[in-house]
Amino acid sequence: MGRYVLHRLALALLTLGGVTVVIFLLIRLIPGDPARIIAGLLASDDEVRRLRVELGLTQPLYMQYLIFFTGLLHGNLGLSAATRAPVLEEIALRLRPTVLLAVSSIAVATLVGLAAGIISATRRYSILDYLAMTLAVLGVSIPVFWLGLMLMLLFAVYLHWLPAGGYGTLASFILPTIALAAFSTGIIARMTRSSLLETLSQDYVRTARAKGVPRHGVVLRHALKNALIPVLTVIGLQFGTLLGGAVLTETTFAWPGMGRLLVNSILSRDYPVIQGIVLTFATMFAGVNLLVDLLYAYVDPRIHYG
Amino acid sequence: MDKIGARFGAIVALVAMVFSLRSAPAGAQAVPKQLRIAVGIDADTLDPAGQTTTTVANMVDYFFETLVDMDYAKNEVVPRLATQWQTSRDGLTYTFQLRQGVTFHDGTPMTAAAVKSTFDRLLDPKTKVPLRGALLAGIKTVDVVDDTTVRFTMSQPNPLLLRNLSYTTTAIISPAAVARAGDRFSLAPVGAGTGPYTFKEWRRGESILVERTPTYWGKKPSFEEVLFQVVPDAGTRETMVLAGNVHLAMLPPAPDIKNLRKNPRVTLVEAPTDRVIFLAMNNQWGPFKDARVRQAMNYAINKKALLSSMLFDLGTVEASACPAMMFGHSPMHEGGWPYDPAKAKQLLAEAGYKDGFDVEFLAPKGRYIQDFEFAQGAAAQLRNVKIRATVSTMDWPTYVATITQPVDRSRTQMFILGWAWVVLDCDGVLFGQFHSSQQPPAGLAAAFYRNEKVDDLLVRARTTVDVAQRATLYKEAQTQIWNDAPWVFLWSQKWYVATVKNLEGVRITPIEKWDAIYATWK
Repeated sequence: MGRYVLHRLALALLTLGGVTVVIFLLIRLIPGDPARIIAGLLASDDEVRRLRVELGLTQPLYMQYLIFFTGLLHGNLGLSAATRAPVLEEIALRLRPTVLLAVSSIAVATLVGLAAGIISATRRYSILDYLAMTLAVLGVSIPVFWLGLMLMLLFAVYLHWLPAGGYGTLASFILPTIALAAFSTGIIARMTRSSLLETLSQDYVRTARAKGVPRHGVVLRHALKNALIPVLTVIGLQFGTLLGGAVLTETTFAWPGMGRLLVNSILSRDYPVIQGIVLTFATMFAGVNLLVDLLYAYVDPRIHYG
Repeated sequence: MDKIGARFGAIVALVAMVFSLRSAPAGAQAVPKQLRIAVGIDADTLDPAGQTTTTVANMVDYFFETLVDMDYAKNEVVPRLATQWQTSRDGLTYTFQLRQGVTFHDGTPMTAAAVKSTFDRLLDPKTKVPLRGALLAGIKTVDVVDDTTVRFTMSQPNPLLLRNLSYTTTAIISPAAVARAGDRFSLAPVGAGTGPYTFKEWRRGESILVERTPTYWGKKPSFEEVLFQVVPDAGTRETMVLAGNVHLAMLPPAPDIKNLRKNPRVTLVEAPTDRVIFLAMNNQWGPFKDARVRQAMNYAINKKALLSSMLFDLGTVEASACPAMMFGHSPMHEGGWPYDPAKAKQLLAEAGYKDGFDVEFLAPKGRYIQDFEFAQGAAAQLRNVKIRATVSTMDWPTYVATITQPVDRSRTQMFILGWAWVVLDCDGVLFGQFHSSQQPPAGLAAAFYRNEKVDDLLVRARTTVDVAQRATLYKEAQTQIWNDAPWVFLWSQKWYVATVKNLEGVRITPIEKWDAIYATWK
């Protein structure tokens, strides 16, 4: 097990190294001069040129990468081109809102998705099944910014129950969490349903029923545990989707997180910040996937890593 | 099923009860301690010297003050930290008497030495001042005469200097506060200003908080605190003001303007600004080399129709390249360039384009009011005179990179651009857009218009002190530019905010700022 974890960690580091090269080159391929965008249209040419030197944009590409990479090894991601504050500080300020939103969304999506999937599978073709699956399809298909605005209109403008946007109070979490969780909830619900249905048709389930194990015991103890493996994979992957969805949700709900910082940094061609955020997202994603792999072994004792 | 339904209903009722205990909807209630304003972007720097964006400067104005102020109704420079000033006849020295008894928020007195140190810092190439070249041209030295008198010595006359000294960039800052903050000054300018509000906290990406200055020298504002909340999405800003979560929201979505004007729960405050929107033609490209074609383009586009059908009347048709608010503006044709497709066809035929031509038309999306939408409307109108324009868009940084290519590499044929200047003087738009030295890559005169007479007039106008003479020079330059038609002259944009009904006295300045420091609660 320990060796497996080490092996996976080494692989993850290698992947992250690749990510730094790809993102470094990709953002420099998009047209647009960071110095001009940051200095503004009204700035004189002299000021723009001065800024270009200050940002290190006059250096050859490989030098820029070397500076970035050696900095990275020292835990230094450089300075934001826009605010001239350390990138690490910019990210640290935004990490908490994003992680809290992603965690609360994945929690809601898992709980609601699992429950809906179980109800659908055990009462197949009932009204509840149709209702749950219709909602699941809607959750997957409705764009998050539209859902966000509709939620705001209902709960903030008409009912005055919840704030329309902003971050801080517990109440401010409710609408963005629902908006962001909708997609993942739908996916998890459908996955749970189909996986559970397949397990329920297996011989051992029939045997268990025949032995007289009560129905909910069969579903929850015997079938669900086996049905859970593909669901776990989906939940792990959904975490990536949530980080991506955070970009839109954070913009819609004025949430001061990393997703919005990323959008702003791309729009101002703030290279150091873009690199830092993509690296952070990649690290988080790799970490969650490692965690999911380890959970497999817990759920299914037949899986061994050695 | 029924049982589940009943249980679900009970839960909903419970949740509803819990939340209805929260604060009642904003509406008729006591004066809030904190005024909340939804802004579209976060600040990049709170250092006055580093300002590039009007909205950020607008927030910085709450805690920093300049030597002089603008009375926009009269288009006149009025006192602020300086109570009076004298200009030498040759325009080479300016002497300012400072307001007495003013202290910075950190307690140090605002003296002539502080003013000198502010300008020494602004002129120091090591300080990041993007608008240095534009605002501070010609200043040689700033000297202390006595404790409350400073003298500006110029290397050449700059008729714009007084107006420039009203802009945020030149705000007077406490030298002690700058020294204390060091590298962090642009992130937390604690105690550095003299304004009616004091900087309290900047939560990056989230909000900026200011509180009323207890020792302010002037009139005290109504609200104890002001919170600027960063809300990038226009739809969300509108929702937040409708829900009463904020009291003022800048630029709600333009397509909702008509409804907001009628909505009894909010006030829409709108006013004209100096941002002129134009369709620039590349004067060095194909058909546009011929002035008759460029004039035909002006005749072929119905600006009034575009304004009312696509911009919800959030603009005013311009009758010159220099917008109406600016000093030196001289209207060339009442109501703008006339709409006359027959005349356009005739001019095109004379120029040898009886069957029109194909042209690529670039427009940004979401940068100016309904930009991409009205570009498509304009393209449809051009088709009536057989000019086949294909509209395309790109993200803003790419757009800027595209239009700022030098003429030999430029692939632009025609494009939409908006231009505004931070002080109301024709120099701001005419020099930057029509003087040949300002063509890319040096500047943004991306229509590649070149006329020696205009070049000469514009240089003379920016170095002449005599007001009447300047006005004459600008009139001449505008006439030449209008007739040469390097642009399709469109309109100047309005700027607008939505506020809750209780908030009164909010105004919009012609330089795209809201003015709400002395707003009151009804």
